[in-house]
Parts: sequence; C-alpha cells; structure tokens
Amino acid sequence: MTVIQMNQAKPTSLLSVRELCVDYASRQGLKRAVDRVSFDVGANEVLGLAGESGSGKSTVAYAIARLHRPPAFITGGSIVLDGTDVLKLQGETLRQWRWRDVSMVLQSAMNALNPLLTVAAQFADLFRAHGIRNKAEIRERSAELLRMVGIAPDRLLDYPHRFSGGMRQRLVIAMALALSPKLIIMDEPTTALDVVVQRELLEEVTVLRRRLGFSILFITHDLALMSQFCDRIGIMLNGDLVEMGPPMQMVEAPQHPYTRKLWNAIPPLHPSEMPPRRVLENTP
Amino acid sequence: MAPLIAPAGPNQRVARPHEPPSAEHVLGSTRMGRDVLAQTIHGTRTSLMVGFIAGLVVTVVGVAVGVTSGYFGGRIDEALNLLTNVVLVIPNLPLMLVLAAFVGEAGPLTIAIIIGVTAWGWGARVTRAQTLSLRQRDYIRASELLGEPAWRIILVELLPNLVSIIGFNFIGSVLYALITEATLEFLGLGDPLALSWGTNLYHAQETSALRVGAWWEIAAPSLALVIFGSSLSLINFAVDEIANPRLRTLRVPKRILAALRPVGAAE
Amino acid sequence: MVFLLRRLGFYVAAFIAAATFNFLIPRLMPGNPIDTMFAQSGTVLPPESLEALKATFGFLDVPLPIQYLHYLGSVFTWDLGLSVKFYPLTVNQVLVRALPWTLLLVLTSSLTAFTIGSLAGTRAAWRRGGAFDSFGAPGALMLQAVPPLVTSLLALSLFSISLKWLPTGFAWDPMLDLTWSWASVWSVLYHAVLPVVTLALAQIGGYLVTMRNSMINLLGEDYITLGMAKGLTDRRLRLVYAAYNALLPALTSFAMSLGAVFGGSLVTEVVFNYPGLGYTLYEGITSRDYPLIQGQLMIMTLAMLSANFAADLLYIIVDPRLRRA
Repeated sequence: MTVIQMNQAKPTSLLSVRELCVDYASRQGLKRAVDRVSFDVGANEVLGLAGESGSGKSTVAYAIARLHRPPAFITGGSIVLDGTDVLKLQGETLRQWRWRDVSMVLQSAMNALNPLLTVAAQFADLFRAHGIRNKAEIRERSAELLRMVGIAPDRLLDYPHRFSGGMRQRLVIAMALALSPKLIIMDEPTTALDVVVQRELLEEVTVLRRRLGFSILFITHDLALMSQFCDRIGIMLNGDLVEMGPPMQMVEAPQHPYTRKLWNAIPPLHPSEMPPRRVLENTP
Repeated sequence: MAPLIAPAGPNQRVARPHEPPSAEHVLGSTRMGRDVLAQTIHGTRTSLMVGFIAGLVVTVVGVAVGVTSGYFGGRIDEALNLLTNVVLVIPNLPLMLVLAAFVGEAGPLTIAIIIGVTAWGWGARVTRAQTLSLRQRDYIRASELLGEPAWRIILVELLPNLVSIIGFNFIGSVLYALITEATLEFLGLGDPLALSWGTNLYHAQETSALRVGAWWEIAAPSLALVIFGSSLSLINFAVDEIANPRLRTLRVPKRILAALRPVGAAE
Repeated sequence: MVFLLRRLGFYVAAFIAAATFNFLIPRLMPGNPIDTMFAQSGTVLPPESLEALKATFGFLDVPLPIQYLHYLGSVFTWDLGLSVKFYPLTVNQVLVRALPWTLLLVLTSSLTAFTIGSLAGTRAAWRRGGAFDSFGAPGALMLQAVPPLVTSLLALSLFSISLKWLPTGFAWDPMLDLTWSWASVWSVLYHAVLPVVTLALAQIGGYLVTMRNSMINLLGEDYITLGMAKGLTDRRLRLVYAAYNALLPALTSFAMSLGAVFGGSLVTEVVFNYPGLGYTLYEGITSRDYPLIQGQLMIMTLAMLSANFAADLLYIIVDPRLRRA
C-alpha cells in the first residue's frame, strides 16, 4: 500500500524515510508493525503522525531514533537523517550520534526522568556522555536551557518529583534541546497534561522552534491538537501510512476513507469549521 | 515404601563401624555399624513428611492471614499486618530454638508444627499484597454490591486468582521446612530416636564422623537435602516465570529469528 | 522523619513481642514453669542468686500481669539474668563476649554476598536470556537451595580435613593470646575465611535473583529508554539508571533476609566451633541453660531490628522522595 499523497522529496529534506518495515518477532512468527512507510520531514517543519493505538506510529518514531528493541526488528527500508544513514550506525558511533541530530520527548514526564537523580545530574549525564566535561560549562549550559523553557535555574538541584507535570515536561523539552538537535521526536508529549497546560507547552515549543530552528515529528492520537500545531499530517492505519498532507487538506478534501472517519469522529466545538492555525501565529 | 528399597533395616547392626562405601554397603556405615544407605532411605520418609506438613501449615496460615488482612482492610488489616511484620522481623531460628528447647526432645511432627507456627510471615505478606491489588477489581466490587457473603467472594472469586502465588509459596515453604528441620535436628533439638536426614546428620556429628574421615555419613543426607532442595527451587523458578509475565524470558524460536533479515547493523 | 519515627515505633513493638514470647512460653508448657526453667540452676546457683534469677524472669508471688511487667522491666534494663552454664557470668556478659564474632561473620558475609550478588544480578537482568542469565539465574537458585548446614559441613570436610588448607575451627589459634598484634589479626582472618565464605555462598544466590527480578521489572520504564536515547553509555545506564533504582526493593529484601543470615550463622558457628552467639547458644541448649536461651532471642532480635533500622536509614538516603522538606 503506497502513500496516496506525498510531498515530492524536497532538496532540503532533513529526514528521509523510505519503505521502512518493522517486524515484531513472537512465538507465533513475525508480525508486521510498520509496512513500507515512506515520508520526508523538511527542515523547520512540523510533521504529525496520527493514528489509533497499534497503528505503528510510535514504532516508526522509535525506529528513527534507533530505540527499538527486540522483539522489534527493522527488516527493510532506509532512514537518512541530514545525510547520515541511520541504520548503518553502530557501537560507539551510534552512541555519539544519539541526541545530537535527533532527540526525544516522551509521554508523561512522570517516568521520563530518573527519580533518584537531581535534574542537574541528569543534564550533566547528557553532556558528559557527549564529551563535554567541564563542570562550569555544564552548569552554564544547563542553566541556560532551563531559562529557555521558563524555569528558574536554581531549580537544577531539585529532584524530579518536586516539579509539576507541566514543568517536568518542560524539563524534558529543555533536555531535548541540549545539543541543538535538528529533529525532535515527540511521542504523545501532552497526553498526560491538562488542556490549558497542553496549550501553553505547545506555544512555547513553537516559540523555541522559531528561535532555534528545528523540525518536529509529532506523534499523537489527538487530531484536533495536531491540526493546529503541524504543517503536515500523516495518517497511519495498521502499519500503513494511508494519507499525508496539510491539515486543511485533511479537513476539506480527505482522500482515504479512514481519514474521513477520523475527522468525523472529532466532536466540533462550533458547528462551523475547526479554528484555524491563525491563533498560534499571533503569539509573540 | 522405604522397607522395600532399603537393603537392610536402618537400625540393624550390619557392619563394622565407620566403614567406607563398598559394594556391600553402597554408602558405608555409621559409628554404630548401621548402613548409611538404609538410614538415608528411611530418613527420606520422615524428612519429606515433615517438610510437607510444615509447608502446608505455613502456607495455610500465611494465606489465611494475608487474605483476611487484605480483604477486610481497616482495623483487622492493621492488626494482622502488624502481627505479620513483627513475626517477619524476629529472626526465625532463634525463635524456634527457644520453642524447641522448652518442648524438649521434639519428634518430627512437633518440629513440623514449630516450623509451621513461626514461618508463615512471608507468605502472609505476599498474599496480602496480592489480595489488596485484586480487591480493587471490578468483579469483586460487583459481587459485593450484589450482596454476596464475604466468604463466598473470597473462595470463589479471590482464591482462584491467587493460586499461582499460593503454589509458589507452598513449594518455597516445603523447601524451607526441609532445611530448617534438618538444622534443628542437627543442633540436637530433635528426637534422637527418630530417623530423618537431620537426625542422621546429628548422629554423624555426635560420633565425630567428619574428623574421623567418615565423610560418607555426612554426604548422604546432605546430598539428599541438596537434590530435593534444588528441584523444589527450580520448580518454583519455572512457576514464577510462567506466572509473572514480566519475568518471562523472551525466547523467540530460532527459526523465526532466522527468517528475519534485519536491515542495518545490530544494536 | 515521620517515616523513621513510625519504623522506630514498630521496632519497639516487635521487641516487646519477642519479650512477650519469652514470657509466655515457659508458662504455656505443661508442667511447672519454675521447675522446667530452674531445675538445673538449683544445683549450680547459691540460693540468693537463684531467687534473684527467678525475680528477673518474673517468677514472683504476684498476679500474672504484674509478673509480665516485671519481666518487661528486666528486659528493657537489659537484665537478662544469670547464665547457668557459665555461672557466675550473667547472660549479658556471655552474649556480649560472643557477639562480636557473630557480627564479624554476619556483616562480612552479607555485605560481600550482597555486593557481588547484586552486581551479578544486574548483569543477568541487562542481558536477559543471554548465557549469563540462562545459567546464572537458575544456578543461583540451586545454590540458594543448599542449606548453610550442608555448605559448612562440605567446606569443613573438603578444605579443612581433606585438603588441610584452612583450620578446622575456632576463631583464632588457641595457642595465641588474642591481642592486636599482627599475628593475632592474621590468625583471626585466617580462621574467619571458611565460615565467612560459607555464609556468603548461602546468601549470594538470593541477592542475585532479587536484583535481577527487580531490575527486569523496571527495564521498561521511560527513563531507561530516554537514557538510552540520550546516548548514555551502556554501563552508566545499567548501573546508575537501572540498578540504582532497583536497589530500593533489593535493600528491602536484604533487610528481611538478615534474619535468615543470623540463623545460618548459628549453624556455621556450630560446625566450625566458632565462638559466636550461635555456638554459645548451642552450648546453652545442650545444658538446658534457659536464661541464656531466652537471652539470645532478645539479643538476636535486637540485632535484627538494628539492621532493619540501618536499612531504613539507607532507604531515606537513596530515595529522595522519602525526604520531607
């Protein structure tokens, strides 16, 4: 099943996924979780991947970041990120590559931060793993990152459980920005947060994105949220990427029956169409 | 069954003292000239019986306390839980030693009861934890709302779900009982006239078997203990792997792995 | 802090429970408790000492509840009475003389076994299903099933008697005077090897499996995945992110298993003639020295409670979530 609509591979394509296949091995045999998925993410672009649980969207995300673990195996296709053949990386090279070009923000920072280490230690971990050992520099950079997401730097010495859910997620975002990545993969980053906090967070992320210039691969099942936040949306169903295009097109002229079903499933706030993205663009 | 297998009566004087293993007496002889193999075989019966009974008592008491505590909650739970924790924190062997010392020469059955009465703590704690988590489930709540009496709910809805943990508990308790019984008897608290692995070891120690070089007297009951103990342990390990899905080792059949041709370098 | 206070309260309750047990047992056994307990003493102790001894244990001409309070009083002032076998020493003196040896065995063996076992457990959990795990985990369990009794007998027979590599007993060379000289210290260490190793072997399997299982339970957590994504080295992930977090349940089970270690040390001491609490107790049992037997329950309980308390303190140090500002 090929993608029905796909942007032509731009020359400035940051991430290029071609015919990606991921299988799960079990006693009963191989189960295909991702079936020949292809898409591009451009520089400074926000691409959303929508779909219900089990559609394979998280699997794609983890595969791109080489975080998939047995029994998940990549069995076909290619992933090229900013010129690097991601699938060929291994050992020390792979380890060094991590977080530099692509970083992650996971769902519910409840569990994404090690509860037994201070925030400062977890930032320091990161820097030291990538060859930055100077304590003063680490402290300075960590403080800067916290300021960027609106958290007072003196909170570096606190433990994760002292932060609220929204603040914890901001910490994770700050960490994701630490090495100035080109792509940040966000896997359901706002699902565990309440609506107001959700919105604030995404607005901040937009501001940061404009300032620093990175792309986002945004995974969620919340279509309404996606349509406001993403430049393009891809719909996944049972391992296939069934449709891809700008949100307006998904709304006005959905090509695939599943896309249609998804949109119709959203209860509208007003009988008229969805609020346009203009709201976000007005924020300073 | 023992009399059928053993080559001679366990208390018969059949050989010269402290004879090493030979064709006639496969495991040698004790100080008193008794056949070690016969003693071991006869001892098996007693030891296993004690282990089984003690294990049963420990499991029953532990489960009863744990389920009651977990199901009824409130003050009952607080009281029983405190009791369980106290029993858990007081070291077992010294406790049993005091008890056994006052009882005098404890026959195997008495030892089984002593063990049963002191060692139920761990089982109670584990059962209580499991009961607490199961208690919140909807089908239990539903039964309560329907007015089913507590004992019925426990018996019909709760216990079946606790089976794997009770089984695990039981096997572990039997293992513990076997070891403890042997230890108590070795220390001289058992009935010297009884015949079990523990008393065999006791007699061996009393007659300085090791120092005289008669290692076989120690080896036989020890080996018996080890074999039984390890088997029980391994069974439990398997039960745990089956029952606890998280611990299940992900063993994907080789043929399936061979069919994979993962792209890119291995992790 | 509240946490610690509650734990302390619990320990006091447990201590009282042990004392109550000691109080009730002689009175619950068939026959006259005084006769049972002091039959031997009558031949050894002068009359006034005998009366004092009876008083310590609450055998006064007062109603039962008052007897109980009397006994509790004795226990809390650590008056454990006179030892019959070791007269004229008090029970306390006998126990205190033996305690350091037991502590040496228990502390050395358990700390070594915990460290080695837990580290091995982290390896097993990290490469689950690998060679180390497939053989290590069941192997550890099989080792655990071997009682300290058997291990010590085997060790004695093999290393002391057959191979004559290590001494057959005692805590130091009886020919030497126990001082702080090098010769003495060396002798002590030399004599401690077998008992400590035996005890350690008896525990190591358990710690390995506990650490392995608790680590496996948390390997799916997000912070591990994120740690890997961050590019942390395998080693740091395994030790600081996974093992450190798995340490908490491992500590709990360590504290709980100490009771068994004390029991195990009892047996080991008897086999190796090691003059610790266990051996002393053994002598007490054979000579029916009831004050001594009851006293050792109290001191063992006390040791166990202290160890648990130490574990609680450690817990607070490791887990920041337990510290209240």
